Amino acid sequence: MPLLDIRNLTIELDTPHGRVKALERVSLTINPAEIHGLVGESGSGRSLLARAILGIPGHNWRIQADRMMWDGHNLLEMSPKQRRNLMGSEIAMIFQDPSSSLDPVIVVGDQLIEAMPENKKLHFWQRAKDQKRTAEKWLHKVGIKDTQKVMSSYAWELSEGECQKVMIAIAVANQPRLLIADEPTNSMEAKTQAQIFRLLTKLNQLHNVSILLISHELETLSIWCDQLSVMYCGQIMESGPTSEIINQPFHPYTKALLNNIPDYSGLVQHKSMMKTLPGSAPALQHLPIGCRLGPRCPEAQKKCVNQPKLCHKKNRYFACHFPYHEEPCNDDATTTS
Amino acid sequence: MARYLLRRLNLFLATSFVLFIVLFIVTSHFPVEKSFALTGLHSPNAQQIEQIEKNYSLNDGQFSQFFSYLQQRLSGDLGISATSQRPVIEELASVLPASFELAAVSAMLALTLGIPLGVLASLSRHKITQHTIMAITLTGYSIPVFWLGLTLSLWFGVQLGWLPISGQLNLLYEIEPVTGFVLIDTLLSDSPYSTSAFIDALLHIILPAITLAVLPFTVVVRITRAAIITIMDQTYIKAAEARGLHTSRVVLRHALPNALIPVLKNLGLMLGPFASYAMVVEVIFAWPGVGAWLVSGIYQRDYTVIQGGVLAVALIIIFISIMIEVLYTAINPLSRKELYASN
Repeated sequence: MPLLDIRNLTIELDTPHGRVKALERVSLTINPAEIHGLVGESGSGRSLLARAILGIPGHNWRIQADRMMWDGHNLLEMSPKQRRNLMGSEIAMIFQDPSSSLDPVIVVGDQLIEAMPENKKLHFWQRAKDQKRTAEKWLHKVGIKDTQKVMSSYAWELSEGECQKVMIAIAVANQPRLLIADEPTNSMEAKTQAQIFRLLTKLNQLHNVSILLISHELETLSIWCDQLSVMYCGQIMESGPTSEIINQPFHPYTKALLNNIPDYSGLVQHKSMMKTLPGSAPALQHLPIGCRLGPRCPEAQKKCVNQPKLCHKKNRYFACHFPYHEEPCNDDATTTS
Repeated sequence: MARYLLRRLNLFLATSFVLFIVLFIVTSHFPVEKSFALTGLHSPNAQQIEQIEKNYSLNDGQFSQFFSYLQQRLSGDLGISATSQRPVIEELASVLPASFELAAVSAMLALTLGIPLGVLASLSRHKITQHTIMAITLTGYSIPVFWLGLTLSLWFGVQLGWLPISGQLNLLYEIEPVTGFVLIDTLLSDSPYSTSAFIDALLHIILPAITLAVLPFTVVVRITRAAIITIMDQTYIKAAEARGLHTSRVVLRHALPNALIPVLKNLGLMLGPFASYAMVVEVIFAWPGVGAWLVSGIYQRDYTVIQGGVLAVALIIIFISIMIEVLYTAINPLSRKELYASN
C-alpha cells in the first residue's frame, strides 16, 4: 500500500483576477521508504502541492481531490485537529524560505526544542536537559559546528544557509514517516548540499523515512531519487522510476528538460544561445487550456487543447497525447474531457 | 546597548531643555508682573523683592535671566502657590501619586482586557463576532470622555447608587499617607478599619478608571487584532503549525509576542491624549490628582501652579515615552537588528 496516494488534486486560488487553477488534476504516489523527486520550474505549483499534502493551506485556497490517502486514511475527511497531529510527527516539511520560516522574536534553539517530542521515560526535571542535548545532536548532524551559539541566536542573526540547516534539523528531529523537502539546499554551498543529501538518504535507509524532494535541478534529483515526477504549470507531465525516465523520457517536456541540461564539454560555441523550449512559462492569469505545455510543445497538435489523462504503462505514468512511446495509451481514444 | 541608552538620555535632556525654554518665554508673557509670575508672592516686602531680583537676575539680559530661572527650577524651587501660599513642589508631591494610581489602574484594565479581546477578535471565524467587537471598539473610540464620565456617574453613582462618584477615599477613613497611593496605603495601614478602607478606595477608583480606560482599551483591541491578523499569515506561523503545535500554543508563543511589538509602539504614541483625557476625568470625578489641581490653578490664575503642573506633566510624558521606546528596543529583538545596522 502506498504511503501517500493523491488522485486528481486540484487547487484553485482566489485572486483579484478571478479564480485560478494553480494545480490541475495532479496525481502523486509515494511508497514507503522511497525518495520521490518532484521537479519543476519555480511557479509550477510544487510548493502548493507540498503545503496541501501537509495541510497548511492559505486562506484563499480551494482544494478538491478524488482522493488523498495517507497510509489508508483519507486526509480530506480528517478534522483539522487530526491533521495537526499528523504534522510534525508523521509528516514534516522543510520550508523553502528558511529565514522567514523561523519566528524572529524567539531564539532558534527554543524553536527546535519546541518541535521535538519529550522523552517520557525520563523524569520531568531531566527532560529539558535531554531535549537540549538531542537538539544539539541534530544540529550537529545537519552540519552546524558551533551548536551552542546557533541555538542562542535569533533567526535574523544567522545566515540563510544556517537557517536552512536549522529548519532541516527541526523537520528531521521527530523522524517523521514522510519528509517534504522543498528546495532544501538552495542557499547552501556545494559541499554542504552533498552533506544534506547524504543525511537525507541516511534517514531514508536507516529509518525508512519517505522523502518528497522538491527541486528545479533535474541533475541533482536524478542522483538521489528513486522515483521522479515532472511538473509543469501545475500539471504532472510524467512520473516514474528515475533511471527509466532519464534513459527514455516519454513526455516532450521531460525530453526537453533533459536535452537542455547545459553540457560543460566545451563543444558549445562561445556566446551561442542556450537550448530551451520556445517561449516562457505562462503567468497564472493566462494559463492555456488543455495541456498547459501546448503553446511551447514541439509535438503539439489540435488535440492538445484537451487535457490528456495520466496514462499508465508498467510503472511509468505520463500525460501526453503524443508521447515518445510506440503504443498509444489505452485511455487516449476516449479522452474527451 | 550602552550607547543607545546614552543617546536616549541625551534625547530626554535635550527635550527637557526645550521645554524649559518654552516655559520661560511663556512665563514672561503672563499678564502679571514678572516677579509674581515667577514666585507667586503677591505683595513682597523690600527684602523679598531684592532676593527675587537676585535669584532670577531680573535686572540682567534675557540669557542670564533664563539660566537663573533654570537654576531655580532645577534646584526644586517652583515658587509658592498664590492661592494656598504653600510651596508648589509640596502640592505637586501630594497630587502626583493619585494621578499615577489612576493612570496605572486604567492602563492595566486596558491591557489586560484589550489584548485577549483583540486576540479573540482576530481568531474568531464568525463574521458576526468580529463585526460586533469592531463596532463596540469603534463606538468606544469615538465617545467623548467627558460625556462618558458624566453618564457613568449619573447611572452608577446617582441613579443606581452603586458606586461613589467623587474623591479618592471616603472622608470617614483617616489613612496615614506612606506611598501616596491610596490603594497601597490602605493595605499598609495598621488601623482596625484598613480592609474596609481598601474596599472603599477600590470602589472609588472603579468609575474614573473605567472612563479613562475606554480609549486605550479600544486602541489596544484594534491594534492587537490587526497585528495578529497580519502575523497569522506569515510563513513562520505556518511553519510552527507544520511542526504540529497546538493552535493555542502557536498563538500564545509565536503570534502574540510578535503582535505586542506594534501595540507597545502605539502605547507610546497614545501617551499625550491619555494624559489630557486623564485631566478631564480627574476634574469630572473630583480626583485629587495633578490634572484637577492644574485645572483649578488655571481657573484661579495661579501662575506658579500652572507652570509647575505643566512642567511636571510634560516631563513625565517625555520620560515615559522615552522609557517605552527603550522597553520596545529591549523586548523586541528585531529592533536590535536595526540597532546593529545603524551603529
